[in-house]
Amino acid sequence: MKQLITLEINNRVYEIPVDPKDLLVDVVRKKVALTGTKKGCGQGDCGACTVLIDGEPVLSCITLAIACQGKKITTIEGLVAEDGKLHPIQQSFVDHGAVQCGFCTPGMILSSKSLLDKNSRPSEEEIKRGIAGNICRCTGYKRIVAAISAAGETISSEGVK
Amino acid sequence: MYLNDFEYFAPKTCGEILDLVGRLGTKAKILAGGTDLLIMMKEKMLKPDYLIDINDVQELKGISYEPGKGAVIGTATKISEIEHSDLIREKYFALSQAAGELGSAQVRAMATLGGNSCHASPAAETPPPLVALGAKVVVKSIAGEKELPLEEFILGNRKTTLAEGEILTKFLLPEPAPRSASRYSYIGLRDAMEIDAVNMAVNLALEDDGRTVKSLRMVMGSVSPVPLIAVEAQGILIGQVFNQELMEKAAQAASVEANPISDIRASAEYRREMVAVLARRLLQQAFNAASGTKEGNW
Ligand SMILES: Cc1cc2nc3c(=O)[nH]c(=O)nc-3n(C[C@H](O)[C@H](O)[C@H](O)COP(=O)(O)OP(=O)(O)OC[C@H]3O[C@@H](n4cnc5c(N)ncnc54)[C@H](O)[C@@H]3O)c2cc1C
Repeated sequence: MKQLITLEINNRVYEIPVDPKDLLVDVVRKKVALTGTKKGCGQGDCGACTVLIDGEPVLSCITLAIACQGKKITTIEGLVAEDGKLHPIQQSFVDHGAVQCGFCTPGMILSSKSLLDKNSRPSEEEIKRGIAGNICRCTGYKRIVAAISAAGETISSEGVK
Repeated sequence: MYLNDFEYFAPKTCGEILDLVGRLGTKAKILAGGTDLLIMMKEKMLKPDYLIDINDVQELKGISYEPGKGAVIGTATKISEIEHSDLIREKYFALSQAAGELGSAQVRAMATLGGNSCHASPAAETPPPLVALGAKVVVKSIAGEKELPLEEFILGNRKTTLAEGEILTKFLLPEPAPRSASRYSYIGLRDAMEIDAVNMAVNLALEDDGRTVKSLRMVMGSVSPVPLIAVEAQGILIGQVFNQELMEKAAQAASVEANPISDIRASAEYRREMVAVLARRLLQQAFNAASGTKEGNW
């Protein structure tokens, strides 16, 4: 039975009819048409579906949409500034060639954001721990780690969020 | 990978949860972090008609501590909160370590402490340190509440004592003994996002002399359907002055006590060997920390 729920995604409020069984990843992709969030393994292992909920990284493939009412959801689309300028983490991924096929990138960047929001100068080990739940199959971890580290430096020197 | 249809409830109080589970019985499931439950539902291993989401119930969340009495951790407390708690790091280090090893940052942000014990996987991260630390659980129903040691709550692979109408509400951790220390470690194929082949927690307290073992709990995971207390191994060290020879004997005894199976993650023989390795490592670390021998918090 469909119920009308209210979700706040990237600072916009959406009223969406959902079934209790609808997963956040499907609602975000199909009903809100924000397809940056990817659907990978469907079991929480790959991290492609990662979004931020109240700043914490969450697996949207094992999260009920109906359970996200009253919370702030951030998807990869929410990181770009109003004027279209990329977030420093996004820019750093571009600059470091940390994107190959791109499938893991949205989740990877959101995990990085949650990490850098807490600690903008993480060590290499801390970065690896922070993205352990995001799997890249193009073998691009080296550049990803470098991109996150450099983004952290930009963020701490410029004081952006 | 879709879910079956169900009705969803998000109660605000523990009383409302108990009313719901009392009324809906076995057709209802508690939804905590959902990191086990939703996966089992996707795989059609479970098809509940009702889900009762407990994440809005404040009284089931958070960590509190009273000096001399110990800590209380609500069942719906996130693993990430435990991992980052200074109090847990300082007083219950083995639990802090295990919380930091569970899943990924995403899983830790979602999963709850109660869910880990209620799911009762033999390879679960937090039950061994909780049992080693002497944790009790509080189980509640409309009829009332009871307290029992965690090792009596977990009955087997995915089996607990929870009966129809009952929920787990909190964990009670006793105040650590003076001159005591706890440590946790695991063996797995890779460093992150690994289901443990073997894990272990040790909680060791020394007498005033700083050398004699006053009390000891060694608890192994993934080598038995339930967290296994290494009773023989503990007996070898308790009341004795800690030394390498006894430590080696205790490690061998733990290895014999373990009751592992062979599966895709490791053979039974390998698991037995690793029990001895973890036992040596953790006993030495816990002894060093409890006796004040400097070795940092690790
Ligand atoms: C990708 C991934 C990696 C993982 N890695 C690890 C790991 O490294 N180590 C590990 O130990 N686990 C791991 N897990 C398993 C899981 O995350 C943990 O077991 C977690 O602690 C479960 O908690 P939850 O809050 O998500 O439980 P849920 O899935 O919400 O619930 C689990 C079960 O317990 C019941 N339940 C929950 N709370 C209560 C309550 N208060 N009263 C009564 N019943 C209750 C539910 O009805 C359900 O049957 C992993 C899971 C995933 C998806």
